[in-house]
Amino acid sequence: MRDDTDVRLDTEHDQATLDTAATVEVPKSLAGIVTATLPMVALAACGGGGDGGSGTPTGVAPTPTPPPVVIVPPTTAQASRFLGQTSMGATRTEIDRVVSVGYDTWITDQFAVARATSHWDWLIAGGYNAAANVNGQNGFDNTVWRQAISGQDQLRQRVGQALLSFLVVGIDGLNTNWRAFAAANYIDVLMDNAFGNYRELLEKVTLSSGMGYYLTYIGNRKANAATGAQPDENYARELMQLFTLGVSKLNADGTVQTSGGNPLDAYTQEDVSGLARVFTGFNLDSNDSSTPDRLRRPLIQQAANHELGTKVFLGTTIPANTDGFASLRLALDAIFANANVPPFVSKQLIQRLVTSNPTPAFVGRVSAVFANNGSGVRGDMKAVIRAILTDTEARSDANLTAANFGKLREPVIRLTNWARAFGATSPSDAWAFGNTSSSLNRLAQSIGHSPSVFNFFRPGYTPPNTAIATAGLVAPEMQITNEPSVIAYVNYMQSLIQSGTGDVRANYTETLTRATDSAALVAEINLVLAAGQLSAATVTTIRTAVDSIGTTTPALLANRVYAAILLTMASPDYLAQK
Amino acid sequence: MTEDQSRRAFLKRSGALGIVGAASPFVMNLAAIGEAAAAVNTDYKALVCIFLFGGNDWANTLPPYDQASYNAYQAQRSVLAYQRADLAATLLNPSTALPGGRQFALSPSLAPLLPVFNAGRMAPVLNVGTLIQPTTKAQYTARSVRLPPKLFSHNDQQSFWQASNPEGANSGWGGRIGDLMQAGNGNSTLTCINASGNAVFLTGRQAVQYSVGTGGPIALSARTSLYGSAAASSALQAMMGGATPGLFANEHAKVSKRSLDAFAQVSAALAAAPALTTAFPTSSLGQQLQVVARMISMSSQLGARRQVFFVSTGGFDNHDALVAQHPGLLANVAGSAKAFYDATVELGISDKVTSFTGSDFGRTLLANTDGSDHGWGSMHFVLGGAVNGGRFFGTAPEYANNGPSDVGQGRLLPAVAVDQYASTLANWFGVANSDMTSVLPNMGNYNQSTWNLGFV
Repeated sequence: MRDDTDVRLDTEHDQATLDTAATVEVPKSLAGIVTATLPMVALAACGGGGDGGSGTPTGVAPTPTPPPVVIVPPTTAQASRFLGQTSMGATRTEIDRVVSVGYDTWITDQFAVARATSHWDWLIAGGYNAAANVNGQNGFDNTVWRQAISGQDQLRQRVGQALLSFLVVGIDGLNTNWRAFAAANYIDVLMDNAFGNYRELLEKVTLSSGMGYYLTYIGNRKANAATGAQPDENYARELMQLFTLGVSKLNADGTVQTSGGNPLDAYTQEDVSGLARVFTGFNLDSNDSSTPDRLRRPLIQQAANHELGTKVFLGTTIPANTDGFASLRLALDAIFANANVPPFVSKQLIQRLVTSNPTPAFVGRVSAVFANNGSGVRGDMKAVIRAILTDTEARSDANLTAANFGKLREPVIRLTNWARAFGATSPSDAWAFGNTSSSLNRLAQSIGHSPSVFNFFRPGYTPPNTAIATAGLVAPEMQITNEPSVIAYVNYMQSLIQSGTGDVRANYTETLTRATDSAALVAEINLVLAAGQLSAATVTTIRTAVDSIGTTTPALLANRVYAAILLTMASPDYLAQK
Repeated sequence: MTEDQSRRAFLKRSGALGIVGAASPFVMNLAAIGEAAAAVNTDYKALVCIFLFGGNDWANTLPPYDQASYNAYQAQRSVLAYQRADLAATLLNPSTALPGGRQFALSPSLAPLLPVFNAGRMAPVLNVGTLIQPTTKAQYTARSVRLPPKLFSHNDQQSFWQASNPEGANSGWGGRIGDLMQAGNGNSTLTCINASGNAVFLTGRQAVQYSVGTGGPIALSARTSLYGSAAASSALQAMMGGATPGLFANEHAKVSKRSLDAFAQVSAALAAAPALTTAFPTSSLGQQLQVVARMISMSSQLGARRQVFFVSTGGFDNHDALVAQHPGLLANVAGSAKAFYDATVELGISDKVTSFTGSDFGRTLLANTDGSDHGWGSMHFVLGGAVNGGRFFGTAPEYANNGPSDVGQGRLLPAVAVDQYASTLANWFGVANSDMTSVLPNMGNYNQSTWNLGFV
């Protein structure tokens, strides 16, 4: 079909030139989206790509004639909501930019923003490769917070965080020296490839030192007849379960395939054992641990340790005497071609960016783009990201009042919401938030500190014995929501809002201009932090609380600002993002 | 809180549950059972689940010691096996010898638990794992019986172990025991208590887990004043816990409300708790078990008669570096569990408190390069003054690759179901056999004569 940039059209005329085999009406609420849904439907009409008959997405009603699209700029609230899904936090400046250029152009512009610096280079520049750091993590938290908050490539930062939530490496589980560098390089791999192709991303992840250590295949050897030792199955299993397929066979819309009411397994133990033979022989390219440098370079093959017998998995046979790299590529190609990959990856990205429980139709539309970007390319991340963020379901104002729509905001992103909204800076560039994993006095979550490859929370987590469970829904972020963590978060934010941490300070100059006027103050904070999603009752509660604080001294005015921000960030209306 | 208040609270909770609709008659029926069970509990008992996240390596936790078994063990995992001589000091001499001359030793790093075993207060249970019904090797091979879904998958087997269902389960057996017991507690919130975050294990159909920090409940910094304003503090607390229309917002608010509501009572109780002379390890697990001991020490002041606790520690997914890492993990478990047992002795309630281990699964007997992979059945331990210890329960497995006890690479086919392990504990706790299928839905698949294995 056509190049990704060509199908995003801005005029009524161009739109009429689209393949109109199938299309959908663009709701009026999709202000500023322009033609967003149309190319996806056109793509869906191309079929499932390499999906082997996985079918057409459901829920897309064909109509013979595309309706005229009225290009209405997003409102500031719509723009803020969009930025809540596409960035580490909205700012007034960025809201105004989205209003000005519209969603589609904003996305296009963000795709073009290069990374200013890699985590690795920042660590080197900061001297964190000093010998004293060989066994520590110094610098890691600094660079990940710094980039998440101050990076101009905000869409990349957000998508990178989403990728890190299921292509997980946690620094605390790296059994190596120079852990900060191994983890930093791993996040660099995700960020550098966030807008590339998922197949390429998988290969770069596989050949990264961080993943090699985290899932223990660095140094993994072929079966040893003398000792009976078998290849380590760790990566083979989690590559399929967590990175590509999931445990159950999926339809193209992400729903689980069943037989007799039971889910069909996506793979067997025999597939795991067979695939494990591929991930033998990989190692670092050097024994020099005096510097972290070897952790940045891709893993190499040590032929003597690679299994050269046949490797059988998922119906694929890699012939005997196929070397390590060739085996790796054949294995990743075979997995990548599996019909589960588009819905499995697409759904998780949707869950991280937009809503915990996307409709099958939404998953199906994105999954179709994953399977084929319109030019016959499978796994085009730019196309997938755009499809998610411009989908009717993500953008429709109707979902603002749908009780089941949306997601809990991740604690890490709540923090970055605050830091970005109020222009936090760190003059030393140290961004001293540190490891915020504690559920007793921090956020119960911290970038790159997942306690296992299962992330801080699972995409399939259902808080048991709740209305969410009764409704048959999931709420991943509820897995780290408990009696200590909900208090710890508020306590931590109370302190940060007032005092920052290290030399991190917010800049409330602009906010303070509204401090005497609680209506204006809360309105602005509601817009930037909560996309205007605070209920009228919540606004009244916050205003009343703010107005309980005087206006006669600068300290009181500051307290009014702090209170308005904290009350907003502690409100259930904010915590659950629509 | 009096019994009447508790009953009113219960009815109010039931009423709230009624909103959910279709499930309500079932819930109410179970609730009625809970009221009945509660009426007979006048003493205090606690169950404490110590969960080892990652899947504990069974073969190096309880290595074989008799020469024939040791030789088979050493042959199957030479790169991981302990030297037999290193096991002599922790050889277990049970009061009842195992058939066939089978002998086991504790991992050397579990040595702190040896005196508890020797005192008859700890029982190893051999080859416990997730099942739906009793399963033979032939049945497994033929797939002729139902098997737990998603075998060998961490998250799913953690869930199945705790809840009899894979990820997404809506209640666990600890919580379902709590359902039967919470009406007898002064504050039903303090029935199922988690010192390590969230676990489906502790959530019942009615019972909701209450999570506590290692130092007790977390105080809201702004509980009396927010940025100098008492009114803002009040607004904050009302808003954090206030009902709200959105599904996710409302469930988050419920957690906040529970936390804010329970804080004063629990923190006051813990502040008044007797100082324990027993020293706990400074590890997270040690600190979790310490707060559990402190909570138990104040159970009568908190009006609790039956409590189920959950603590956990991770790192057991030893695909590599097992020899370097696994002993330290077990040493932490042993030190923490021993301290906890000692604390219950110090408090004079050791016969009221039973702790037990759980884990995702066991691991392969066969080694990989320098670790072991995901398995199934595993070795577990039950500790407490009421435990019929100093001997083994269950059946000693064969050490083989695809032999009679394993399904390949030494992944043990469980001989004791988690259901049976659980029902034994539940029976001690006061759950009648007539209620057992409400706690363990697959219990009917096991002969009732095997519902109580006799270890407690």
